[in-house]
Amino acid sequence: MFSGFFRIIKFSFQEIIRNMSLSVMTVLILILMLLSINTLMVVKVLTDESVAAVKKQIDVSIYFNPEATLDEIQEIRDYVSAFPEVEKETFFNSEEVFANFKKSYANNPDVLSSLDEIGTNPLGPTLIIKTRDPKDYTKIITALSVPEYENIIEAKTFGDTQTAIDRIHVITTNVQKFTYFLTILFAVIAFIIIFNTIRVAIYTQRTEIGIKRLVGATNWFIQGPYIVESFLFSIISVGLTYLLVDFFLKFLDLYISVIFEKNNLLSNYLSQNLVSIIGIEFGVVFLLTIVSSGLAMRRYLRT
Amino acid sequence: MGSSPVIGSIVDFFELFIVQKIFLCYDIYHMITLKSVTKKYSADSTGLSGVDLHIENGEFVSIVGQSGTGKTTMIKLLIAEEKATSGVIEVGGWDITRISNSDIPLLRRQIGVIFQDFKLLPKKTVAENVAFALEVAGEKRSRIKQVVPRVLDIVGLVHKLDRYPHQLSGGEQQRVAMARSLVHRPKILLADEPTGNLDSINTQEIIDILKKINEFGTTILLVTHNREVVNQLKRRVVTLYDGRIISDENKGKYRL
Ligand SMILES: Nc1ncnc2c1ncn2[C@@H]1O[C@H](COP(=O)(O)OP(=O)(O)OP(=O)(O)O)[C@@H](O)[C@H]1O
Ligand SMILES: [Mg+2]
Repeated sequence: MFSGFFRIIKFSFQEIIRNMSLSVMTVLILILMLLSINTLMVVKVLTDESVAAVKKQIDVSIYFNPEATLDEIQEIRDYVSAFPEVEKETFFNSEEVFANFKKSYANNPDVLSSLDEIGTNPLGPTLIIKTRDPKDYTKIITALSVPEYENIIEAKTFGDTQTAIDRIHVITTNVQKFTYFLTILFAVIAFIIIFNTIRVAIYTQRTEIGIKRLVGATNWFIQGPYIVESFLFSIISVGLTYLLVDFFLKFLDLYISVIFEKNNLLSNYLSQNLVSIIGIEFGVVFLLTIVSSGLAMRRYLRT
Repeated sequence: MGSSPVIGSIVDFFELFIVQKIFLCYDIYHMITLKSVTKKYSADSTGLSGVDLHIENGEFVSIVGQSGTGKTTMIKLLIAEEKATSGVIEVGGWDITRISNSDIPLLRRQIGVIFQDFKLLPKKTVAENVAFALEVAGEKRSRIKQVVPRVLDIVGLVHKLDRYPHQLSGGEQQRVAMARSLVHRPKILLADEPTGNLDSINTQEIIDILKKINEFGTTILLVTHNREVVNQLKRRVVTLYDGRIISDENKGKYRL
């Protein structure tokens, strides 16, 4: 049966070359499908990156009463940093807060002159808390909203930040849902297109399958070349897609580095996950072509 | 009709098969046996009904009959493309009535078949079409190289090895199909209206080749509508009507 295997490989190369236009069509469709999957990958990486960037910019400010003692403030600082969700807490004393405030209103003489009228520093110390995940801010804020701290803490940036945090959650979960939806949609469309391409190809080849059966070819001889062809088409399309994607990502990275201040974000993601990306893509394409040609051919293989 | 050089090489060809893998245990007397064979495609479509037929080794039998009387059905049953609804079918002593799907390729390598529409693979050359029947049977490359030119020589096409079917005339395509049907040196050759698409000169060439193949011992079943062919052969004629045999004469004539 060894020579049979080589004959099957010979037949599949013959069929690929002598049905060149069909072969090119099939590979093109596979590449289009793979490109759309890769687009989704890029969307996902960029979403993750921007969510992380947005999260980084969110924090909770705790404004202390100017009369609060250092011990009281220290107690709250210790209490807050004990939370595992807290990534970082930064403290500014009254003078620093006042200096910052004056700096940020340097162009506003009205505010500055009214500050001069008061004469003293009306602002208390401020604690800026950063958590690992925006949704943990609620926890911190709830923990600090107890009666014993009521006199120490003058205000927490509760209202506005909370809605901002909620909105980011809504947006990110929706983007994720949409990404999944698109992934499934693309996979279904690709399956239908490929199934139909192969079905049409086999429909036109059904007389050939009949002839091969007539001269005593076993199913193995009839199906074998299609399996080898699927394998070759998968290798070619995954390879060409990789070259295209690699090129486009390098190009995109130039723009992305401006936005996220990270170089080669996408190219690095690709090269770090190369084995799994190529492996999964090859598996998907090979399975898709094998399954669809198998389904399309099944009825012609019975006697 | 100018086919004598072609015929000369047949002797050569059969010498190739000194050592032969014989799968069928050939029954000298009954090469083909149908015992009350009925084929119903559906409740209201009957291909054959209750046909009894014995064909002996070396016979040349013409099957005639109007359109839709079951001639092609009989051929399809003999190559197990269809299964009989009832009755028994034996080919070379092998009961193929309930043949398993995995044995069908073996059966088909023992029987040569040709059709009105030639059934050549369009994307393969003449030589590749003929070689294909040997390749799927697992024949060695050296043997394929030997057999392909020989069988093509028999049908007079050895100089058109590298043509594709669409580059050949109808008669030439049918001769390629005949060459292919001969590669396993079949004991039985079934021909379903092989000359249906051909003019009288090409028809005569095909019939001459069939006659010579028969002379060297191959049993031939020829389905035809061609009155002249049947009358010229002066061999056994079986007439079908409505799925039944209505006449079976040695040295028969075409009478419809
Ligand atoms: N696949 C099928 N399904 C249903 N009925 C069929 C099928 N094949 C043939 N028949 C019917 O069986 C009968 C015999 O058909 P068959 O093809 O054997 O005729 P035939 O003698 O070869 O005719 P022709 O000379 O026109 O080729 C016809 O009535 C035909 O309609
Ligand atoms: Mg017919």
